[in-house]
Amino acid sequence: DQTLKKNSNHAESLALKGCIFHFTGNKQEAEEYIHKALNKGEKNYLVNHLAGVYYRALENYQDAAKWFKATLDNGSPNKHLWRDLSNIQVHVRDYKNLKDSKQAYLEFQPGYRANWTGTAVALHLNKNYSGAVSTLSKIEDIIKDHLQEGDRYEQSECVLYKNSIIAEGGDVEKALEVLEKDDSEIRDRLAFLEYKAKYLYILDRKKEASLVYRELLKRNPDNVNYYLALDDALDLKTKPLETRLRVYEKLQAFYPLSDPPKFLPLCFLPANSPQFHDKAKEYVLSQLKRGVPSTFVNIKHLYKDAAKRDIIAKIVLDFHDNQAPSLAPTVVVWTKFFLTQHYLYLGDFEKANKFADEAISHSPTLVELYMLKARVLKHEHKIAEASQVMEEARKLDLQDRFVNSKSTKYLLRADQVDEAIDKISLFTKLDENAVNGCKDLHLMQVNWVILESAEAYTRLYHAYAKELASLESTNKEEEESEAEVELHEKVELYRGLAIKRYQAIVNIFKSWYNDLFDFHSYCLRRGTPRDYLQSLKWSDHLGATPIYPRAIEGLVSLYLELNEQISTSAEANLGDSSKTKKNNKKQKKARAQNLKKREELIAKVESVKNESDPLGTEFLKSLYSKECNILDLAFALVKPLTEEAQDNVITWRVAYEVYLKQGKYILALQAIKNLERILNPHKTKKLRSMAERVVRLNKACREDQTTNAAIIKVVEKGISTTYPDFNESDVPGFLKLYSH
Amino acid sequence: MGITIRQATIDDIQAMQNCNLHNLPENYQLKYYMYHILSWPQASFVATTYETDLEGIDQDTISQPKADTAYIRPGEKVVGYVLGKMEDDPDAKDKTPHGHITSISVIRTYRRMGVAEKLMRQALFAMNESFNAQYVSLHVRKSNRAALHLYRDTLNFEVISIEKSYYQDGEDAYAMKKVLKREELEPYLFQKSDLVDDLSTDLLQEA
Repeated sequence: DQTLKKNSNHAESLALKGCIFHFTGNKQEAEEYIHKALNKGEKNYLVNHLAGVYYRALENYQDAAKWFKATLDNGSPNKHLWRDLSNIQVHVRDYKNLKDSKQAYLEFQPGYRANWTGTAVALHLNKNYSGAVSTLSKIEDIIKDHLQEGDRYEQSECVLYKNSIIAEGGDVEKALEVLEKDDSEIRDRLAFLEYKAKYLYILDRKKEASLVYRELLKRNPDNVNYYLALDDALDLKTKPLETRLRVYEKLQAFYPLSDPPKFLPLCFLPANSPQFHDKAKEYVLSQLKRGVPSTFVNIKHLYKDAAKRDIIAKIVLDFHDNQAPSLAPTVVVWTKFFLTQHYLYLGDFEKANKFADEAISHSPTLVELYMLKARVLKHEHKIAEASQVMEEARKLDLQDRFVNSKSTKYLLRADQVDEAIDKISLFTKLDENAVNGCKDLHLMQVNWVILESAEAYTRLYHAYAKELASLESTNKEEEESEAEVELHEKVELYRGLAIKRYQAIVNIFKSWYNDLFDFHSYCLRRGTPRDYLQSLKWSDHLGATPIYPRAIEGLVSLYLELNEQISTSAEANLGDSSKTKKNNKKQKKARAQNLKKREELIAKVESVKNESDPLGTEFLKSLYSKECNILDLAFALVKPLTEEAQDNVITWRVAYEVYLKQGKYILALQAIKNLERILNPHKTKKLRSMAERVVRLNKACREDQTTNAAIIKVVEKGISTTYPDFNESDVPGFLKLYSH
Repeated sequence: MGITIRQATIDDIQAMQNCNLHNLPENYQLKYYMYHILSWPQASFVATTYETDLEGIDQDTISQPKADTAYIRPGEKVVGYVLGKMEDDPDAKDKTPHGHITSISVIRTYRRMGVAEKLMRQALFAMNESFNAQYVSLHVRKSNRAALHLYRDTLNFEVISIEKSYYQDGEDAYAMKKVLKREELEPYLFQKSDLVDDLSTDLLQEA
């Protein structure tokens, strides 16, 4: 401050002050000072450095990288900055420049193994396999005579890392040779054996590979992948069924407590073979007799083969009628439990309910039975009833969080959000004075609750909007009625909360990506480069996490709906500008009365303490504003899905809708093609849902005056190549043809 | 959908966190799972469902994962996990390398298949082999009889002490410990079979 008083243009002090403002929580002034400082001292490396630190703290890694780089370019003597820069570069996936930074840092500090590993990682990420391998080999040679016991783990990991790169580079023979040479360096014997088996298999030394898989089975007889790999290595698919079966029988004799050698034959045996019947019987009945709750779920996969499904059903029904009654009472109950699930699978609710009810009257204190009964009701769309039964289940075991979670979920499905949060709060941490665990649920990243809440709020919003619309259509008065005012508020409240919860999911995923930042340097020091590389891939595909597209679809649907409403009401208002204003007075009054209620509400739904926009009202307002392009927001949410989750139906379903609204017709066509690829890979079906998309695309594209002729042509051509049956003049005929 | 047990990877951590949140009151942010996997990649395991090809049945769509927090990939749902670590507190009194079980749970509906025991055996074996862990410690709620039975009677852990009000809700914990001896840890030893694969028999031959 003193320097600034003397010279208010002193750039370094301005930048320093900007950083201080940032770290003391004064975000706006921080930004101003950093901008000012950069204006005055763009070429000053101290200013550059402070700007880099500032942007990194803001998690604006692109700008952080820019200023760290400038720091070094403008002559900073601080060579440690190469490391800071490289951490940022890898975070923004700038692998090209990462390589140079890592190299520069290695030259500065060659005495640390982590820096050699870091350089190798950078080369590897640039697909320079030989460079990466020689870097790792060099440091191995340098330190091989100086390794302490404490270095052994890192040594083992780095040796395996080097090996995996050799194989990835394509020279599997060399990889195997080096692996065997490095045998004594490797502590992770699981990885050693897995690598070895894989290499032998690729090199067509299958007999040897099979022996290594057998070694792996001794270490972990419950890993199905080893059985499948052994099956391949022994070429069992080409052998007579008896031979294949015999192998599994021998494996089962070695590992009688493991599931895969018993289960896999049920997958490959044909339904009509006598062995299938006998093995299925043995598999299912032994579990029922032991009272394994997941017996049905364990074999459910086989139900995709209808013949197998019928055989299994017959076995269990026969057992239920004849054998079970003479066995322990629990056996009867678990058999009824199985049959309930069987009939639920078939959609025969009557029988499912019958068996569930019988089971419950037989053993009225068994929690699982109520959980299942609730599920049957849920599938019958008796949501409220289902929730009540799940609550009965919960009451039978108050100590168990799993059944508490289920009860919470069913309450959310029944749109009782507050009750649901109260329920799950029995197991969350409660902050001081908190009325429920909502904040803890956000802090602990409980995505399933946040997502189910978002969907429940969406349903509430839609229900109230429907009610409001019907009220408005009957109320012909100029003034809005009290009831309308109240409904109006509810509509906006639940819409705001829904968007807020969906957005919370987006934020959590973003924070997970950024959580990895600290590991860029940590893993190299720790000596875990293999898993570090996997974690980079993982974070590149976070959008493929199954629930993420679901959340995005929910959020984008709300955006598109809002966009539609804004554009139609803008049109309507051209003629009647008084309409939207007419009730301001009354609304205000109602709001004042609701102030206390509002505070109570906020206490229940806040996701962090003293949240700035706890109900999402301000955000919703910003969406209504003229400056906001909702379609751009929707597009920004969809784009990562199209890169990270390309095999997910939801991705293209939601992308199609956004593209169509944006007038990006060629992209919409691509989305259609991707959906076909996923839903109809063998081109055996004519899907109605796809035909409808084609018709909508064609219509939108034609009716849009702004589309240029070339684009219309491309879309037309694309449609006729993929859908030769499409005929614009006979849309009903086309739709009729696509009836699947 | 059978059950398979394998080493946990970074791809599994969201579903592990989900499993933990459904079952236990002690929860962690995802970064803590990241920290485990990226510090001791060998020490954590998951039990998941799996789906293999059914011979003769063609899939007529590219299979979709269920949009549920428990799923990693199509047909692959985490039903149990064990999160293991090595003791890395620099102030710890005991400098012998030793492991610690941070958390373990199996979804209620997948119990009675020995999943928890198998997960534990994998973790103990791996910690000893990869990190030279000489013993493994853990905490268990005093009231959790099923878990106590597993640790004490099945896995031969011994109670070292009782830690008063160890848990947030005030419940006491048993601090338990098991000394690890490599030759006693190999998982095939716990299959209750007289037959051991000595790798010399030809699996394809008739008996």
